[in-house]
Amino acid sequence: MADNVSKCFHIQRNRPRTIREAVIQRLTGRYNASSVLWALRDVSFSVKQGTVLGLIGHNGAGKSTLLRLLCGLGRPTSGRIHHTGNIGSLLELGGGFHPDMTGRQNLKTGGILSGLTKRQIKAIEDEIINFAELEEFIDQPIRTYSSGMYLRLAFATAIHFDPDFLVIDEVLGVGDSRFQVKCLDRLKAFRSAGKSLIFASHDLEQVRSLCSEVIVLEEGRVVMQGEPGSAISCYHDLMRQRSEKRAKQIYKKAPSNITAEQGSRLGTQEAIIYVVRLYNASGETTDSVFSGDGITIELGYRLINPLSDMALSLGIYNEKNVKCFETVINSTNAVFGILDEQGSFICHLPELPLLSGRYYINVGIYPPNWDFVYDYHWQMHVLYVLDKQELTSNISGVVSVYPAWSVQARTKELNK
Amino acid sequence: MNSSAYHFDLVWHLVKRNFYLRYIGSSIGILWYLLLPLSQLLVLVFLFGKVVPLKIDAYPAFVFSTLLPWVWFSTCLNTASSLFISNKDLIRRPNFAPFILIIVDTIANLLAFILFLPILIFILALYSRYITLYFLIFPLLILIQGILTVGLSMIIATMNVFYRDIQQIVTVAIMLLFYLTPIFYRPEAISKKYNLVYTSNPIAVLIQSYREILFYGSPPQWSSLMFAGIISVIVCVAGFFLYNRHLPDIFDAL
Repeated sequence: MADNVSKCFHIQRNRPRTIREAVIQRLTGRYNASSVLWALRDVSFSVKQGTVLGLIGHNGAGKSTLLRLLCGLGRPTSGRIHHTGNIGSLLELGGGFHPDMTGRQNLKTGGILSGLTKRQIKAIEDEIINFAELEEFIDQPIRTYSSGMYLRLAFATAIHFDPDFLVIDEVLGVGDSRFQVKCLDRLKAFRSAGKSLIFASHDLEQVRSLCSEVIVLEEGRVVMQGEPGSAISCYHDLMRQRSEKRAKQIYKKAPSNITAEQGSRLGTQEAIIYVVRLYNASGETTDSVFSGDGITIELGYRLINPLSDMALSLGIYNEKNVKCFETVINSTNAVFGILDEQGSFICHLPELPLLSGRYYINVGIYPPNWDFVYDYHWQMHVLYVLDKQELTSNISGVVSVYPAWSVQARTKELNK
Repeated sequence: MNSSAYHFDLVWHLVKRNFYLRYIGSSIGILWYLLLPLSQLLVLVFLFGKVVPLKIDAYPAFVFSTLLPWVWFSTCLNTASSLFISNKDLIRRPNFAPFILIIVDTIANLLAFILFLPILIFILALYSRYITLYFLIFPLLILIQGILTVGLSMIIATMNVFYRDIQQIVTVAIMLLFYLTPIFYRPEAISKKYNLVYTSNPIAVLIQSYREILFYGSPPQWSSLMFAGIISVIVCVAGFFLYNRHLPDIFDAL
């Protein structure tokens, strides 16, 4: 359990690495400003016995820092961590392994460092070698091992002990798919045995299949804690926002051959949206619609580079850049099949319950992992929403709901 | 998992591993460890036996009886500086106290010391210095020296994580200390006003005590030995405090 844990790393430029430097710095009164990096901020959560908690977030969100603090490595700048029971961990693979020693010797070292006694290690030694499938090579020095063999040995050694609580940091990606399945099975066995498990991963399928609860970390804060499906979509959302932000910083404005009075367009242009058309219910192109009516949006796309799959987002934002609605397709392959070089995505929205006003349709196409953006149109396509009926009151906001006000006379109570 | 049986297993395994790693790949193996003190012995014997004669009887035995313990001390301190920073991967494991590395290193070097004890006894015998009853005090000297070494190593290892020139400072200090410790000369030959140097320095006292029981076959100076013992304990406790206080920062700094 973590209680309001914050962890701050002081990054000091020119920190005195030697005594000589420290003395000189003090004498010349020159303290270089240290910048502060808050790796974690106000993180609180608890894990009950027997649950599997997943931890996802972008690189640098603070997952590893959090896991290390949970294991007692390092001290939180503020807040507390407490746990009951034995904590075991798989934070880094191959700690204590020496290249000149044989696999068997390193296995013993790893086992002892994990907390087993010599007797216990002897008992499960063969099981570990078996799991790692290294029977032939176990008595050779590990500098002769391939990286896959090394990782299999390290993983097999680390996973064969029996804590109440296991903390794993992104190390489940090693080995070929068969080996990965073995690892997952073993973790599932853990779970059925009633042990608790916390693990950080970038592999969302693993998270989905193993975890009962997922925490999403962003920039050191807990953004959400909940069941795997919604947490994963939250994660996708955040990733996309990050790429959009990054794209804005890196890419210059692409020459736009779409008439637009304003807005901006960015992206690598490996695939482009060359036209965006709006159709009303009768099939005519339009740029305005009555509130509550349906609308069809056509995105004409063209693949400049051959691409196998794309992710797609379409959002409706109001003038204040509030997101009124958004639809996202994570993989066009999965929904539509293989894409042609040129074509159109057609999105039909049967009802658009928006208040009258001016809205923008922002569309974007991305690679399936949302890493960056192929083409993103921001505030380039306008949609006007008009009022359908007379209003007796002032309405504001986003959603069109037409309130009907009335008055009811109150029966008079006689003073008694 | 925190039982004493486990800790014993852990330390013993790491000591074996330490030994194994030292001598793996070298052709003459563990004898290499003896080469350092033997060559030092030869040079000293030549220098102060022939070039600048100190006129001490049985000079080789005289020197060697103090040289071996000194090698234990200096090797430990010299390797202490990099103990934490080179074993980063071990320290980053949870439930591993970095302190264990110091214990393991000290014990490993002690084992090497004891391994060559027969050679020392042989050299002593060459000069007709035979083992007396006072040899039973030997374990006590080892104990005191061990406490002192562990204390100093903790200070050195911890501080070197933050200030990387501790390593050089220690190397130089050990070199100077070698001359200030009566390993190859007799402190009695120096005028009384420098006596303080030799009675307040715990390693000097220890070295002399080794010589007393091994070379002279007589009891050590109990008062100075006790004093050295107290200083060693104080250093060890201070080292422990320093280590404990900076332990979380060590994790961050590595």
